[in-house]
Amino acid sequence: MKMTELQKKEDAEIPTASMADIAFLLIVFFMLTTVFSANKGMEHMLPPRDQADDAIEPDEAIYIKVFPDGQFVMDEDTYQISQVERVYDYVNDKVQINAKKPIIIHTNPEAPYGDMVAILNQLKLLEARNKMQLAITIPSKDEAQRYAEYNQ
Amino acid sequence: MKIRKTRILEANIPTASMADIAFLLIVFFMISTVFQVDRTSVSLPESEKPTRKDVVKESAFIIIQEDGTIKASDGLEDSQLVNKEDIAIHASTWMRLNPNKPVVIKADATVKYSLVDDVLEQVRQAGVVNLKFLTNQQKGN
Repeated sequence: MKMTELQKKEDAEIPTASMADIAFLLIVFFMLTTVFSANKGMEHMLPPRDQADDAIEPDEAIYIKVFPDGQFVMDEDTYQISQVERVYDYVNDKVQINAKKPIIIHTNPEAPYGDMVAILNQLKLLEARNKMQLAITIPSKDEAQRYAEYNQ
Repeated sequence: MKIRKTRILEANIPTASMADIAFLLIVFFMISTVFQVDRTSVSLPESEKPTRKDVVKESAFIIIQEDGTIKASDGLEDSQLVNKEDIAIHASTWMRLNPNKPVVIKADATVKYSLVDDVLEQVRQAGVVNLKFLTNQQKGN
């Protein structure tokens, strides 16, 4: 018998043409949903509820009072918020003598939140550089009231 | 003279490595993706680099916007507008489910401290211990 037609041999292959389409679709999804971790902030530990009443006496603490007009008072000396770096040096000198010295940040309700954070930033910077834990207190309303009465 | 038959080469673009590149990019984006529960735009206060610690995954968020409106999220679902007086209730629920859950305060730098104080008062009542003040990195550091 004469073979008139040569049998054509087909190569086995996996179609990969659409692979890139699927992959790019996934890329677009992840690109749209990606948020590069910009979430960082300053840690502050609040006292547990059962210890909340153990208020610190202001006379044994470094007392920082933030005012609405861009000024703050640190142990009776008045500074502008632009001089906030002074907090670092002042507190650094104090905690070299007594590392457990409490620090109270008492912010006036009308003062901008950013000013309080600026002061907290100096204290946290001191903590980070000296690798120490400072006793920073952000007083509750009752405590703040008590401190205000004490200072009058 | 014998003329050889010229072979015509088919023009094609090699796409075999396309998928490799694409999958490499997928892996990169998968690893770097963080699904945020809150995308509210606020002008955060600034702090220096050493003071800034990463926000732990699934931290609860309380957002205080410039106009005084407050949003909250348990860290799993998107943030929603809440009444200022209801924060203690929300925070208590978070604490009941996870007593060590960190709470992140994302407040606009220009808001009055009284607003932040009201929020802090309520999270204190709810028994929150681990607090974080969200900041941007100070320029020039």
